[in-house]
Amino acid sequence: MRSAVIIVTFLIATTMVSAVLFTKEGLEREAEISVKTAPDLTVQYLKAGRVELIPLEYAKTIAGVEGVKAVIPRIWGYAGISTYTFTVIGLDTSSIQYTSFGSIESGRFLTPDDAGKGNIVIGKLIAGLLNVKVGDDIILLSESVEANKFHVVGLFSDASSIYTADMIVMSIQDARQFFRMPDGYVTDFAVYVEDYEQPANVAAKMSFLPNARILDQDLLLRGYKAAYGARGGIFVTLWTILLVGAALVAFSQAVVVGHESKFEVGLLKTFGFTTLDIIEVRLVESLVLGFFATSLGMILGYVYAAYFNAPGLVDILLGWAFLPREFRLPVFISWTSVFSIYAVTVIPLIITTVVPAWLNAITDPELAMRRAAA
Amino acid sequence: MIELRGITKIYNKGKFNEVVAVQDISMKIEDGSIVVLTGPSGCGKTTLLSIIGLILTPTSGEIFYDGESVLGYSDYWKTSFRRENFGFVFQHINLLPQYTALENVLLPLYAKDSDPADFMERAVELLSKLGVMERANHLVEQLSGGEQQRVAFVRALIKDPQYLFADEPTVFVDEDTSRIIYRLLQDLRDKGKTIIVSTHDPELIKIADQIHRMDRGRLLQKK
Ligand SMILES: Nc1ncnc2c1ncn2[C@@H]1O[C@H](COP(=O)(O)OP(=O)(O)OP(=O)(O)O)[C@@H](O)[C@H]1O
Ligand SMILES: [Mg+2]
Repeated sequence: MRSAVIIVTFLIATTMVSAVLFTKEGLEREAEISVKTAPDLTVQYLKAGRVELIPLEYAKTIAGVEGVKAVIPRIWGYAGISTYTFTVIGLDTSSIQYTSFGSIESGRFLTPDDAGKGNIVIGKLIAGLLNVKVGDDIILLSESVEANKFHVVGLFSDASSIYTADMIVMSIQDARQFFRMPDGYVTDFAVYVEDYEQPANVAAKMSFLPNARILDQDLLLRGYKAAYGARGGIFVTLWTILLVGAALVAFSQAVVVGHESKFEVGLLKTFGFTTLDIIEVRLVESLVLGFFATSLGMILGYVYAAYFNAPGLVDILLGWAFLPREFRLPVFISWTSVFSIYAVTVIPLIITTVVPAWLNAITDPELAMRRAAA
Repeated sequence: MIELRGITKIYNKGKFNEVVAVQDISMKIEDGSIVVLTGPSGCGKTTLLSIIGLILTPTSGEIFYDGESVLGYSDYWKTSFRRENFGFVFQHINLLPQYTALENVLLPLYAKDSDPADFMERAVELLSKLGVMERANHLVEQLSGGEQQRVAFVRALIKDPQYLFADEPTVFVDEDTSRIIYRLLQDLRDKGKTIIVSTHDPELIKIADQIHRMDRGRLLQKK
C-alpha cells in the first residue's frame, strides 16, 4: 500500500518532469537546427534606437561590402486567423535560390515565377488548424480588415523544425500588398556571404554602415534560447513544485515506514543482522522502487509529449493552447536529462527511506522493540 | 561465565521522567546453569535481561563474557556476538504476525553465515517437540498465545545458542506445555548451555541453579 502511494506519486512527478525536460531539449535542438537555415546575417534599420522599415536602395550599399554574395529584401509581420497568430514572411523570389527553409513535405517551395501571384508555402501547424492541403485556397485577414485570398502550393514538413510550423511564406510583392507596406521600403535584408568568407568578418566590415543593426546566427540562437529561457523560469517552478511534492510524500511515507519497521529492525538486530544489513535492504528496496517508477515515468512522459503533444503542458511550453494531431512536438532525450531525472527522484527517495532505517538500526534493539510495541 | 559489575540503568536520565530501572547490580553466572530473575512487576527484570543480552546499553557498569569486558566493543561486534551465541524469548513474544510460524522460526538464519535450508530438520524437530508442528504453516496472527510462545521458543533455539535469554516464558502456556518447557531447559543445561530466565512461575524457580530476587531495581538476596 505504502509502496503504491510512493510509486504513483513518483510516476506522476517523473512523467510531468520528463515530458517538460524532453520537450525543452527538443525545442533547443530545433532552435539550433533552424538557425542553420537562417541567413548568414540579417540587417535591420535602426533609428533613434528603434527598429524601423529599411529603404530598399540600402541593399545596394550592403551588396557593395566585400564578401557579400546576395542581399534579399524581406517584408514580414504577423497575421491572425481566428484566434491564432502566424508569422508571414515575404521574400524577393528573384533571388530565392539563396534561401533555405528546410524540407518541404508536399507541393513545392516558391520560385521566381510566384512573384505577386498569391502563392504561399505554409507550416504544418497552420495546415492542421485550418485543415488545408496543397492546392487549397485560404483567406487571410489583413490589419486593414481586407480579405486576401492565397493559394497553398507547398507544405513544410515538421522535420524542418517547429519554427516553420506557424510560418506563411509568400513573395515580397504579395506581402507588401497584404501589409499595405509603402513602396521602396522593406522590413529587413537577409544577407548571404561568399563561401570563402566568415559571416563574422563580413559583419565587421559592415559595422561602418550608418543606422544598420547586424544580427548573426549566434545572436539569433541566443534570441530563441532567451525566449525559452523566460519559459525556463516556469520549468524551474514546475520542477520544484513536483519534486518538493514527491519528496514530501516520500518523506511522510518513510516516517510511516520508519515507525512500522522500527520493531522489525530492533528484532532483526537482536538476531544479529548488522546495521549495514538493514540499510542494505532498504537501499535495495528504494533503488529498485525508484528506478522502476522513474523509468516508467520517463517512458510515459516521452509518450505523453511525443505522441500526444503533451495536452495541458504545451500552453506552458509553447504558448499554444493545443497542438493539432498533424503536428509533432519536438522531443529529444539526452543523457543529461535522463541522468538528472534519476538523480532528483531516486536520491530523495533513498535519503527518506534509508535515513529512518539507519536511525532505527543504531537504537538499542530493546528500546526499538519496546517503543514500537507501546 | 558471565560476570556483571555494578550495572545501573537509568531511563530518561536527567529528565523529569527519569526512572532508575536497575541499580548497582553485580552477579556471576556459571556456564551450564539455569539462572532465574524474579520479583514484582516493574522491578527491572526485563531491563537487566536485555542488558546481559547486549540489546540494551546500561548507564554504567561492566559485563564480562569469559573474562572479556564487552560493553566497550562496537555495535558491530555485539551484533555478531549475539548472532553467534544468543537466543531470545521475549516477554511480548515478538513474532512477526504477517508471516507463518515456520518463517518466523527461520528468520534469525537470514542474518549472515547460515543457510536456512540446513536448519529445516532442526526446525521440524523442535516444532514437534513443543507440539506446534501442525501449526508450522499457519500465519502467526492465527495462533493462540500459548502456541505463539512455543514458536518463539523454537525461534530462540534454532541455532542451538550457548546462551538463552527467556523473559517470562511460561505465562501464556498450559501446565502440560510448561512441563515440556522445564524439561527442555533442563536438557539444555545438561548440554552445558546457560539459561537466564525471568519468571514468577514457582515450578520454574524450582529447577533453577541460581535465583536472584529483585525489588525496585536492586538485588535482594542470593540462594
Ligand atoms: N524505555 C523505557 N523508558 C522509561 N522507563 C522504562 C523503559 N523501559 C522500562 N521502564 C521502566 O523501568 C522499570 C523496569 O522495567 P522492566 O520492564 O525492566 O520491569 P520488569 O521487571 O520486567 O516488569 P514486568 O514484570 O512487568 O515485566 C519500570 O518502572 C518501567 O516502567
Ligand atoms: Mg518484564
